Amino acid sequence: MSDFALSGSPVSATLSRKVIRARRLRLLQQLTLGIGFPVIVVLLWQAAAVTGLVDRRFFPAPSDTIAATIALLQDPDERARLLLDMLATYRRLVIGFTIGATLGVVTGVGMALSRPIRDSLGPTVSATFPTPKLAIFPLLIVIFGLGDASKVVLIALGVFYMTCLSSLSGVLYASPLHRDVAKAFRIPAWTRWTRIVVPSAMPSIVTGLKLGLGQALILVVSAEFVSAQEGLGHFIWDSWQVLDVPRMFMGLVVVGLTGGAAVLFGEFLERRLIPWAPKS
Amino acid sequence: MTSTLATSQIVEKLPTELAQTQTALNISNLGRSFLTRKGAVLEALSEISLRVRRSEVVAVLGPSGCGKSSLLRILAGLDEDYTGEIDWNLEQIDSSAAQRLRSATVFQSDSTFPWMNVEKNLLIGLSGLRVEAQEASRRAARYLGLVGLSGFRGAFPHELSGGMRQRVAIARALATEPLLLLMDEPLAALDAQTRLVMQQELLGIWSETRSTVIYITHDIGEALALADRIVVMTARPGRIKAIQTVPFGRDRDVVELRREPEFGSLEADLWKLVADEVGQSLDGSGRKEPKE
Repeated sequence: MSDFALSGSPVSATLSRKVIRARRLRLLQQLTLGIGFPVIVVLLWQAAAVTGLVDRRFFPAPSDTIAATIALLQDPDERARLLLDMLATYRRLVIGFTIGATLGVVTGVGMALSRPIRDSLGPTVSATFPTPKLAIFPLLIVIFGLGDASKVVLIALGVFYMTCLSSLSGVLYASPLHRDVAKAFRIPAWTRWTRIVVPSAMPSIVTGLKLGLGQALILVVSAEFVSAQEGLGHFIWDSWQVLDVPRMFMGLVVVGLTGGAAVLFGEFLERRLIPWAPKS
Repeated sequence: MTSTLATSQIVEKLPTELAQTQTALNISNLGRSFLTRKGAVLEALSEISLRVRRSEVVAVLGPSGCGKSSLLRILAGLDEDYTGEIDWNLEQIDSSAAQRLRSATVFQSDSTFPWMNVEKNLLIGLSGLRVEAQEASRRAARYLGLVGLSGFRGAFPHELSGGMRQRVAIARALATEPLLLLMDEPLAALDAQTRLVMQQELLGIWSETRSTVIYITHDIGEALALADRIVVMTARPGRIKAIQTVPFGRDRDVVELRREPEFGSLEADLWKLVADEVGQSLDGSGRKEPKE
């Protein structure tokens, strides 16, 4: 808010310079340590592999992985295959996550707002929630076939539970005071739901979405291990099967980067959907 | 002490003036009971009868657990399971009733919506009324001005201080131009200095808006500083123990008021009335008031 900007007096200018410098120093330190630690780990690994401390066939030196990566990226056929694998995985992720998150939030909010819906769905949702989703993957293949559909449904299921339960508790345990205000001011039902109930539950809903993203990533890679002709999970599993370990590590790096991107996306959602939340 | 004389002259006239004005609402024989978990009946409110005149400020004073909040929740429309009657007299007389809320509440703790800016916080309070968009933003501007927040229309609650947020809540209630403005210890969460400033501001706001107010508090000084009449409640079940007319005019100064000898003696009288009840509620069941 510009209303709260510091005034331009010389005292406040020195003060703010001081504060800004301290903040910059802190950020620099944070970045150095945050990047420094993994770099040191990789260097130690490199040393261990080169000196023969670990078996280089199973734990290739990071330089081996980099070399394999460069070789793969220079081969147009291999490059195209990797790209197709990534696309396949991302397609399943995006479709599965969208379906699961939409159904989850709608069901969760619906359950919170309506007692009959809660009474009829609640026991089933709670009872099936602890089942490891991967355990029903064979059943999903029977129902939806070997193609994309069974994998998308698996991801959607995992995301559904996370978002449904967090939306449910988000609305149920939203501030009773906000509910009182809505009632005392006789705010019409639709306005109440869309402008008070759901925003009030939004922090909890976003937490559910973030957990759902992590869940989706686990499920898509696991499903692709077991049954897929393409996808990052298949890329990793396939590399392992032919004992091309550097290639396998490369797949792991891509999956890791995807996870990082998912975390960033989660933070983007957080900033976008709950701009009033205190910055962490 | 000419100033004291002047005040008491106004005092003489005030009750008769008020008596001539219309009734805003008439509470008769209001009662509220709760069922405890063990199935016992717990009487929170009993035989509350009170006529509130238009533009009158009535403070309700009592120890905690005396049913103050039960009364507030009923009047706010948050609790419908009561016995007895509430006659919203102005609703029949006032032709603009569709553009006004029956009652609007200022809650004790911060009740602003953190995801809306100040102006939207005000406008959503009007969403249940038949008010044109133009009239709505006119009201928002007017009442934000009245609480001194004109420059903060676009600010979000987390950018404001506690006192400013409570002003937003007050402006939100005023903007509905309610037949009854309900205030539930609205200043209790503020620091002592801010509270005194806000008391003076409330007096100014009410004289501007001519609001009818029921003001719930446990602070005797605050009740004396703000109200035309003070209703003292008994411990559970909450009944009306005494009604004290406050002999100070509306154009009072909450600080200067404390110099008046009458202020001190009334404060002592009221304290005795309340202290009896505090003793009783500590002796008695001493349980917290059930929240439904």
